[in-house]
Amino acid sequence: MLNAGTAIQKTPLFGSMFRIDTSTGLEEINGWPGLMIMASFVWLAVAGLLGLAMPLSQLLGLQSDLFYTALTAHGAALAFPFIFQLMVGASLHRAGSCLGKPVTGILSASIFWSMNIGAVLLTIAILFGLKISYAVMYPLPVIGVATGQWSMGVVVLGFTGIALVLTSMIVLYPVKVISMLFYGEKREDLLLSARALNDPGMLGMAIAVFVLLVMGTPLMIVAGTVLLGLYGIVPMDAISWATDPAVFQFVFWIFAHNLMEAMAVMVISAMYGTLPLYLADGTRKLYSDRLANLALWILLFTSVTSFFHHFFTMFPALPAALAYHGNVMSWGTGVGASLTIFTVLATIWKHGLRPEPGILAVLMGFMLYILDGVSAIVTSNVAWSFELHGTMWAGGHTMNVLVAMSLMWMGVLYHHYPVITGRKLSRKLGYRFVTLFTVGSVGSSYAFLAAGAAGMPRRFAAWNQEGWMIYGVFILIFGLITAASLLVYAYDLLKSSDEAAA
Amino acid sequence: MLDFMYQSSWGAFTIMLFFHVPFLLVFFYILYRKTAVDPGPSGTDDGRISRAEGLWITLVIVLFVGINVVSIKYMPTVSTAHAASAENIQNIDVTAQSWSYEISERQLEVGRPVRFSVKSADTVHGFGVYHPDGSVVFTMMLIPGMERASLIHTFTEPGKYRVRCLEYCGIAHHAMADELIVSDSQ
Repeated sequence: MLNAGTAIQKTPLFGSMFRIDTSTGLEEINGWPGLMIMASFVWLAVAGLLGLAMPLSQLLGLQSDLFYTALTAHGAALAFPFIFQLMVGASLHRAGSCLGKPVTGILSASIFWSMNIGAVLLTIAILFGLKISYAVMYPLPVIGVATGQWSMGVVVLGFTGIALVLTSMIVLYPVKVISMLFYGEKREDLLLSARALNDPGMLGMAIAVFVLLVMGTPLMIVAGTVLLGLYGIVPMDAISWATDPAVFQFVFWIFAHNLMEAMAVMVISAMYGTLPLYLADGTRKLYSDRLANLALWILLFTSVTSFFHHFFTMFPALPAALAYHGNVMSWGTGVGASLTIFTVLATIWKHGLRPEPGILAVLMGFMLYILDGVSAIVTSNVAWSFELHGTMWAGGHTMNVLVAMSLMWMGVLYHHYPVITGRKLSRKLGYRFVTLFTVGSVGSSYAFLAAGAAGMPRRFAAWNQEGWMIYGVFILIFGLITAASLLVYAYDLLKSSDEAAA
Repeated sequence: MLDFMYQSSWGAFTIMLFFHVPFLLVFFYILYRKTAVDPGPSGTDDGRISRAEGLWITLVIVLFVGINVVSIKYMPTVSTAHAASAENIQNIDVTAQSWSYEISERQLEVGRPVRFSVKSADTVHGFGVYHPDGSVVFTMMLIPGMERASLIHTFTEPGKYRVRCLEYCGIAHHAMADELIVSDSQ
């Protein structure tokens, strides 16, 4: 089997950033998480270039085909192999070091391979013509074949990739975390910071993996069945229950919505776990574990059925009663978020804070998450949804939640990086990274939302209509600032490696 | 004021800022105060923080409930139910197919309720109706094979209302558009 540490070492450029420390005897918790984190940054580089290609293709008046290719590939690379994989790597490292259990074996390797091979196959399919956006838009993949937009070959390739990515996210990763939480011997030599399951930092992880497993299983069944049909193993007319567009759309959004919520619960719990470590008075405790855990439970229960807000504008195909229910539940998630705001600010107020770059990145990510959450609940009101759904407002929300989570995880990484690599990141560069990233992402967030309010459609390759290009210009400017922050972060990772070598 | 808030996407933007601005002010004030000015523990007693917690939760719930209750009047699902009994409803059937619309009648009247019954013949499409000033009046999502999306809307101003697909539907998605002409009633 591949040795994760060796794989990191042999990877050009990125390998030197994440080379693991072999002097501590912690390779069993550092190896696979380190490799996943490194791979996530490779995908971030890919997603970043594709992201910038979108406004550039508009400003330079290039073919719309290029825009839709960049749109699909950027979304797919950013959401799954970058952010989700970064989260998996950091959370498995946290689970290993807090529970004293190794992150090794076939399951850890399978999470990595399934995610990355799947993402590569999907990217190849996109580059060869499959332009379906990251949301798949089923039945667009098969309609695209019927209308000559792309071939059945790329659909089969793309769906194979999607199936592998989903297997990693919905089955392998949750099973691995559950097995670490509830089974296996605790090893004192791997235990760096013991935590119990009722600790808010661990509870969120447990909630998130159960949500992924439960909410994702229907999509696995439907997508797996469609894949069998595409391979020709079962006749398509025998699986019409799975190829029905409404079935696919509903199981997709039940999963996709709850995936985002699960990732949010996970990242909030990571903040609950990280914040106490940086309190000025050394208390190492949140203002209230009770309030923190209540927020997680409220987020869990309200988010499960708030996915109906994706379908308000189908009325009456989505009955009004379910729309109102989705409206109430969506705003209910805001109650959970408001309790988290109070916990975080009361903790800082009560105990003071050491302003290290890592915790500042986590807090700025949290601030972005709250700003985005407000835009999300506004568009989850039935009245406003009919004016905003399908505009850049919705696209901006997706972008912003992913950006907020990535900043929080990159902040958490400041805490894990020294354990994994034995090296420290620079405070000065860290402050620059956090400042640039915050300015860039807040700016692009408002540019997206204002574009949506102005009626600019999302996933739309004609920004020059109706004077919308000005929003595109702002998105590009702030996107470049965010890109500059990521270059600072990458330079910091490289510099730490050079200093260690010296 | 309420009409602007609930019938305009810029009204939604304003409501969003109504939450954003105080949050940002408090968030950065506490962060600045407790990292740069006075990073040590505060002397605020637990009772005061606990009272602030109760006040905060109450404020959030009151605002959330208030904003949503007032919005009921403006929900297209509700206004459609109210208008369904009107006698002079104009029925418009729309079929969306990559990348065009088949619309049974494009000439509409100010003040006369119009029932849009819209379906898709192939993949997921949108039916977004734009006011002549460029804002979205309403949008509908159409999933093929499902019941027609349907709502009743009464236009209050004459003009050319652009129709656009707001659900990504393939390589010519941006070209999927049409037009409705709303005239003063005879």
